[in-house]
Order: sequence, then C-alpha cells, then structure tokens
Amino acid sequence: MSQEYTLIRDIVSGHNERMHNIKKYYPFFKLSEVSFGQYKDGRYEMLDMGYILMAVLRFFIEENNFREKLVSYKEYADFMHEVLVRDFAVSLEKEEEKELVSYIFDKIKNDGKPFSYTYFDPEDKKKKTIRTKVIENKIKDDNVMYSISADAVAFYLDTKEMKEESNITVAQLLLSKMISTRNFKGGIEVIKRINNEVGKLIHQKNEILNVISYDVFTGIRMYEEFMDHTVKWFDEEQKLFKKNKELVNKALKSCESDMGYYAVMEEIYHLESELNKVIHKHSELLSACIALQEKTDEIIVRSKLGRIRSSLDFRKMLSELIKADDADKLQYYIQPLLKLAVKKTFSLTLLDNMLTYKPDDSEDAQKVQENEYDEDFRYPDEIEEERIFDNCSVLLELLFEMLMEQESFDLISYNAYLTEKLGSKCLLSADYYSFIVHLCQKNSYDIEETLKKPDTFLEDIICRNFENHQSRFEKYKGLKFEIQYMGNMTEQNHKNDNIIRIGKYEISNLICRKIT
Amino acid sequence: MEERNLSKALDIIARLINGEEISRDEKDTKSLYEDYTTNAEIYDITNSICKKLNLSLYEYEYSLYASAGENNRVFGYSNDELKKEIGVKLNRELFLCYFIIYNVVTWFYNDTASYTFNEYIKIEDLIHCVDSSLAGVMGGLSVVVQNEVEENSFKMIALLWEDLPVISNEETNARAARGSKYGFVKMTLNFLLKQGLLIESEGRYYPKKRLKALARNYFEEYKGRLYEIMEETGNATYQQNQSK
Repeated sequence: MSQEYTLIRDIVSGHNERMHNIKKYYPFFKLSEVSFGQYKDGRYEMLDMGYILMAVLRFFIEENNFREKLVSYKEYADFMHEVLVRDFAVSLEKEEEKELVSYIFDKIKNDGKPFSYTYFDPEDKKKKTIRTKVIENKIKDDNVMYSISADAVAFYLDTKEMKEESNITVAQLLLSKMISTRNFKGGIEVIKRINNEVGKLIHQKNEILNVISYDVFTGIRMYEEFMDHTVKWFDEEQKLFKKNKELVNKALKSCESDMGYYAVMEEIYHLESELNKVIHKHSELLSACIALQEKTDEIIVRSKLGRIRSSLDFRKMLSELIKADDADKLQYYIQPLLKLAVKKTFSLTLLDNMLTYKPDDSEDAQKVQENEYDEDFRYPDEIEEERIFDNCSVLLELLFEMLMEQESFDLISYNAYLTEKLGSKCLLSADYYSFIVHLCQKNSYDIEETLKKPDTFLEDIICRNFENHQSRFEKYKGLKFEIQYMGNMTEQNHKNDNIIRIGKYEISNLICRKIT
Repeated sequence: MEERNLSKALDIIARLINGEEISRDEKDTKSLYEDYTTNAEIYDITNSICKKLNLSLYEYEYSLYASAGENNRVFGYSNDELKKEIGVKLNRELFLCYFIIYNVVTWFYNDTASYTFNEYIKIEDLIHCVDSSLAGVMGGLSVVVQNEVEENSFKMIALLWEDLPVISNEETNARAARGSKYGFVKMTLNFLLKQGLLIESEGRYYPKKRLKALARNYFEEYKGRLYEIMEETGNATYQQNQSK
C-alpha cells in the first residue's frame, strides 16, 4: 500500500518539476524537425538544423560567456557563413546566402516567439504552458544585440556533462585533484568551465528579473529554484576556492625548489590568474544574488498594487472602434505616441500666392458690346398682354360660334357653353371678366365695319384675329350683333334673377342678339 | 525658487521638446535625469511647466519621455503634417496608417498592464495582422461601392487595403510606397523608426523603450478620457440610428 502511495506521489508531485527540467531540450528537438526540403525547392536539404543549432550555441557561449560581449547580427551572419562553407561546402551568392542565414536565424528565434509547449499538471489538474528561448535580444546604443539564454547554456553543457547539484563544486573538486596531480593544463580547462558556470548563473539571474517583470508567479518560482540551487552552495564553493587558491600558491612556491614544478611554471601562473578571475566573478555573482532578492521583493509589492489598478485593453478598444465605425478616432491612440511636432509647416503655395497677389487700383468697367441683345427676350407685361389676347380670342371665337348657331342667347347660356368647352374654371379667370367688360363697351358690333376701323380694345383683338387666323374667322366676316343689358347692379336688383353669381363674384345678365 | 533649479528644469523641457531622451544611461543627460529625480524643486517646476504646455511626462526604466497627448494644437500634428511626414496624400490613407500603427501596438501589447511574448515584428507578420483585424469588416464588403462609404469609415480602410496587391508588380525589391500592402506597411514602419518608437535590424522591427513607456503609461493615465471619446462615438451612432 505504502509502495503504491510512493509511486503515485512520485508520478504526481514530481511531474511539474520534470516538465520544467526538460524545457531546455525542447528547442533542440523542435528545431531538429525543421527540414530544408521545403525551403527553396529543397536546394539546401543537406543542411542539418540540429548541427547548426549546436554550432550557433557554442559560438554564442564563446562570445557571451568567455569574451563577455553581446553578438551583433553581422557577427552571427559571418559565423554562419563560415559554418556553411566549412561544414556543408555550400557556396552561395551574397544575396542568397543572406536570405538563407536570415531564414535559419528566424527558425532559431522561432520567429520572435518563445518555444512553448503545453503539459498537464496533475497537482493543479489543469494544462500549463512552458516557454523557453534560445537567443535573446537587447537594445544597446541603438543597436539590436543578441545573447544566449540561460536555458540554452544549460542545454549545451548538459549535452556533454552529467548534471550535478552544483557544477561549480564538482568542478572545484576536480580542480583540486588536477592541481595535486600537477595537471595544470587540465586545471585551466576546468577553471574555464567554472567560469562558464558562473556566467550561466549570472545570466539566469538576469532572466529571472525579466520574467518576473511580466509574469510574477512564474518569476517567483524561478527565483526560488535559483536561490535553492545557488545560494546554499555558495559557502561550500567559497571554501573550495580558498582551498584551491592555497594549492596553487603552494605549487608556485614549489617552483623554486622542485624542477618538476619549474617546467610548468608558466601554466601555473596562467592557472593562478584564471583562478583569481573566477573568484572575483563568483563574488560578483554573490552580490548580484543579494540585489536580485531586493529587486524581487520590490517587484512583488508593485505587482500587488498593480493588480488593484484596471488596465486598458487595446484589442477590446479596437473592436469597439470598428463597431462604432469611426476611423478618425484612431488618432487619439496614435498621436500620443509620436514625438512632439516642433517643425511647423506653412504651405509654400500660400506663401507664393501672398507674394504674387496684386490688389486692383480701381475697378474695371464692364464692357458692354453693342448690337448684342437677346432677340427672344420678352418683358413681363408683353407676356401678360399675349396671354390676355389669347384668352380673349378664344372667348370671342366661342361667342361668334354661338351667334352663328343661335339668333339670341343670354350670358347664362354663354357661360354654360364656355364651361362645356373650356371647363368650369374658365369662369373664374380674370380674363373672362375683362372680356365681358370690353364687350359691353359698345351696344352693337358690325364686324365688317370693325375691320375697317377698330375703335376699342376688343375690336382691335377682332382685327388681329382676322389677320392672323383668316381661314378660321372668314366665316364671321358678315356678322352683326347687339347687346342688351338685363339690369343694373343696384340694391333692388340684388335679389333679381338677372344677377348671375359665379363664386364670390356677381355679374348682371345680358343678351346677345344677331342683327339680320 | 532658485534660479539654478529653474534653469535646469528649462533645460530638461527644452531637450524633451527637441525630441531628446533624458536618460540615466546617456552621458549627456545623466546629470539632468538625476536632478529631476532627486531635486524636488526641479521635479515640481518641470512638471508644472509641462502641464501648462499641455504635455504629459513619463518616467520609464530610468528615462523621461514627453507626449503631446490628443488635441494639442502646439505640439501635436495636424492631419496634413502627418500625411506629409508619412508620405500619403488622402485622409483614408492616413487612417490606414493609423490602423497599421495600432496593430503594431497590439502585436506587442495585450493591454497596458501586460505585453505579449513577441520580441519583434516583421513586415509579413504585420500584413497578416492587419488582414485578420480587418477580416470582420471585409466580410460585408462584396456589395459596398467605394463612393457610398464615408472616408472615416473602417469599411473605407478595408476597401483600400483589399484593393492593394501584396507586392506591386513594378517592384523588384519591395520598397516603401503606397502601391502595395508590403510597401504601405514598410512606409508606416519607416515613419515609426523616424519617430523613435521602433528599431530595425535585418528586416525585424523591435520596440524601443519610448513605445513601451508611452503604451503603458499614457493609455493607463488617459483611459478615462479614451472611454469618454468612445462614448461620444457610441452616442452619435445611436442618435443617427434613432433619426433613421
């Protein structure tokens, strides 16, 4: 029963840690899957991404950890050129090589994203994601520079060495043995490895600070692990450094008496200086760890406060803007990011216009060209007259028509005839009344006489109609008729039947009679 | 008030207005940064003058940055000035640039409190990003005619973007120009480089501290105002719909 319990506990509680421990291997296997078969029609199928990755890691360790400098893209590209030519015998045009090197770089950088994989955490009963990077970037003096990540260094070292709880301690024990056995050359190599290990820890410390700035929980876990694996070993490591330093000093003293030591004196001096360097670096790591502790505490406090504050969600805002369909509002999000606009612009065209502008001294007179007028132009009273003439002509023609058909008729019959021919509205026209008034100016009409000498306005209209529409009016030429008034517009006659009411108007009746 | 402190504060403001960065890591400005952070009077004078000038001042990773904010007639850009700076002619092209820049921000930041894991952006990534941001708007475009759409509508941006080829046929080496998606994005990124918001290395565009400082601090501080602006837009749309 207890065996089973141990088994289950081992599986469940250790799983999370195991997943974290294998994360440094993940990028290698992920990158090993990259096949060059798809790239440029498989022209570079002979390239092996696994090998390239290991070469690049070694190059970065050399530059970052041994020479303590960051790597520029150009340095990486130069190194890749050497690898391609030396190891794969690939000789390319400059542009093509640039493209290939960039393609490999993007793969190693995973297109700027961390390598991530998801696993199930049996303790929390949920899926978690682990992220790791191979190469990191920093902006230094306005240039982007690259360095290897601590995970990548750990991975590279693990590919050849067995992992111990403290590599520094193990390596120092090895160093002691080597000094004792007078293998100083080997000792120098071991010190280089110790140096590398210290460099890796410093790097790991920086990475923790980076992670903790955006993911406090992961950062704290990394920080605790780091402190467990480093600080508790510091005392022992310091003791071993002291011991090794004494051994080297002893060896240097022996040089004076022992010829065996004298022969390798140069190596011993070299070893001593390397050891001094690594001791100095190790004490730097110690102070960096204390600073890390302080910074972590500060970040935790800030993060606690930060969780209280609400933040502005950029993506949500964008979808709100799209929903409102007003792209102009984007300026409120973009303009604050821009530098201050100190260069004010003034359109050159405006300046040009101002300089060349000449105000007129006096107003130019408008030229009127003689003999230029609109022949079709008609004054409003001409239009009125024309209308009156046309309407009177129609009424006159209908009067003549009635006279030709009937010997006599009164105004009521005439009105009925007009309504029949022209519609009821014709009686409301002002021209109808003016026609009646003009008609009543004379008691009798003889058309033949009228045509000879027209006296009134109406007679003038009769003449013009005979002239203009001779064929239509010819038949009325011999017409003679008289007009008899049926009553006057007096108070007494108001109730008389001889008064005709048309709308609001009143008119006295009259009789037209043909004279034979 | 000491004259020396006033002079220092004015020096800080003059440098910020000239587009310089006041940073602890720069030799020239290190002492000014320290004066600003350690001398209370210099701090107060600087902040109060900036406030009067309608400028917002932000401290981020031991550096100072100034922003003109929105609607700043003295230090802000007019649409025409921006069009000239970027190299576009029409308002709708300017709006498309705004949209591309907004996508750059969302590529690096989810919100003002947390950023994405993206370290850099490439032109291809940004084209893809704009494509997906406009996907919803493009859905209903098949029946829309350009003349019927208002210039400040996202439909207009989508129509303009949709009409561009990915890379213009005339271009052998894709260059910054308005003739293709690639060119348009490159032109916008060039503008951001000029503005000191990004830095470029071999076709990869990395965010600079200035972008980080403003993306986090400005929007954090003015989010109330931004919500208010959104509200105005929302009301206007509602009123329009009501009147319909």
